[in-house]
Amino acid sequence: MPARRPAAALALAAGLAVIAGGTAGLLLTRHSTLAMRPAAAGVAALPAPTGPIVAPPPSAAPKPVPAPVSLTIPLIGVRTQLITLGLTSAGELQVPSSTAVAGWYTGSPRPGAVGSAIIVGHIDSYNGPGVFYRLIELTRGDKIYVERADGTLVEFRVTSVQIYLKDRFPTEDVYGPVPDAELRLITCGGAFDKATGHYLSNIVVYATEVS
Amino acid sequence: MKYRRITRRLLMLAAASALLLGIPAAATAYASSATTGTGWIRLAHLSPNTPAVDVYLYSFGDTNAMIVLHHVAYGTVSPYESVPAGDYSVAMRGAGASPTSQPVLSTSVTVAAGHAYTVAGLGPESGLRLQVLEDKLTTAPGQAEVRVIQASLKQQVVTVTLGSTVLASGLKFASVSDYQPVSPGTQSVTVSSSGGTANSSVTLAAGTVHTLVVLDGASGLEVVNLEDASGSGQPPAGGVSTGFGGTAPHGPGSPVPWLVVIGAGSLLALTGGLKLRRGRQLNAGI
Repeated sequence: MPARRPAAALALAAGLAVIAGGTAGLLLTRHSTLAMRPAAAGVAALPAPTGPIVAPPPSAAPKPVPAPVSLTIPLIGVRTQLITLGLTSAGELQVPSSTAVAGWYTGSPRPGAVGSAIIVGHIDSYNGPGVFYRLIELTRGDKIYVERADGTLVEFRVTSVQIYLKDRFPTEDVYGPVPDAELRLITCGGAFDKATGHYLSNIVVYATEVS
Repeated sequence: MKYRRITRRLLMLAAASALLLGIPAAATAYASSATTGTGWIRLAHLSPNTPAVDVYLYSFGDTNAMIVLHHVAYGTVSPYESVPAGDYSVAMRGAGASPTSQPVLSTSVTVAAGHAYTVAGLGPESGLRLQVLEDKLTTAPGQAEVRVIQASLKQQVVTVTLGSTVLASGLKFASVSDYQPVSPGTQSVTVSSSGGTANSSVTLAAGTVHTLVVLDGASGLEVVNLEDASGSGQPPAGGVSTGFGGTAPHGPGSPVPWLVVIGAGSLLALTGGLKLRRGRQLNAGI
């Protein structure tokens, strides 16, 4: 009679319940948690900065242009001061120590001068989004503004957005000479390698000064 | 029944992953200047005794000009225009001439994606020609590149040196030297000819490409320094480390704890079940 073996019946019932719970837990945790992507609506688009917009440089006798001081990308809510970046002893590009600001590589042309100006920012910190977290959302035609030390603005339009594996980074395309005033914004992207603590790819936004 | 549900769940997961992977894939559809299929073109008037002209750029076969430069005088070089790769024609008309009038001169130019060209009116007015020059868009690391266009009619043959480097020796009127790599820095440029010499100074930064144009000035020879292109003199090595993973997707956790729970549950259920059965058999035996 079941009543005479209450402990055994209880064990059977408890065991079955534990099996059910374990199975449910196993099935429910089999998928990856998605990348943290706050809703785009959560970050309001910024207004375009105000100031005199300068014309692209001529080929002959171009005037020296002032140093860049800040970057605004209205569509993705980016407004950051620009720090200066050089190369590490290994010859790699320095990155800002803060994930909240972007930096201009002083070995590249100044934004608004002839050539490919380089600006770098973090996609994230250990805990959350960095200054270039939403860079991947930019598409052809989106506007980027760089403010310079004399208060003038250079307006760029995105021409392309590329994602490259870091071990196949196209150095010549990104850092090589170009004949007009261009900008490249660089951050990380793609898969994150937990073992090394680095993303495997770089996102590069190409932009050209508007004439 | 249960298997079907699990299969469906897995399929949904697979579809969601594909969608996620598809977002960056779509973003990469926009290509860079080399791969979007655009190149650059600029126009120059380098014929000393030819009066000012209007220069027209047409997409080949289109009678409406894409770009018109008015009243372009000797020594003028336009900025580069970014244009889709393809065939173009360049026409020169006297300054102020009707756009529909017969051009004085025209030529065709094929623009390749990621390449830059200078279309220059060269030579004396009597022998004016439009020449297409391909402009260099690469430098060796830490170096600059420079070439010379000889556009002086008064001094028909010139030798151009940069510091102690000979850029062009015995360069004839209306000809162009090849680019050559030079050390960056500010250096003196000397143009020597049978009619005298001219000195100036130019700054060539690492990673930049220049064209020096020798012109007839108001009083003797002049040198104009064109910046053809500019990049990073010391290109950084490899990619850039700009992320710590705080927003990266995380993989599923280990299944081991759940399997242990299921195992323990099974053991408990089995023990309980066996005891129950043995109890029944004993009861039945009495």
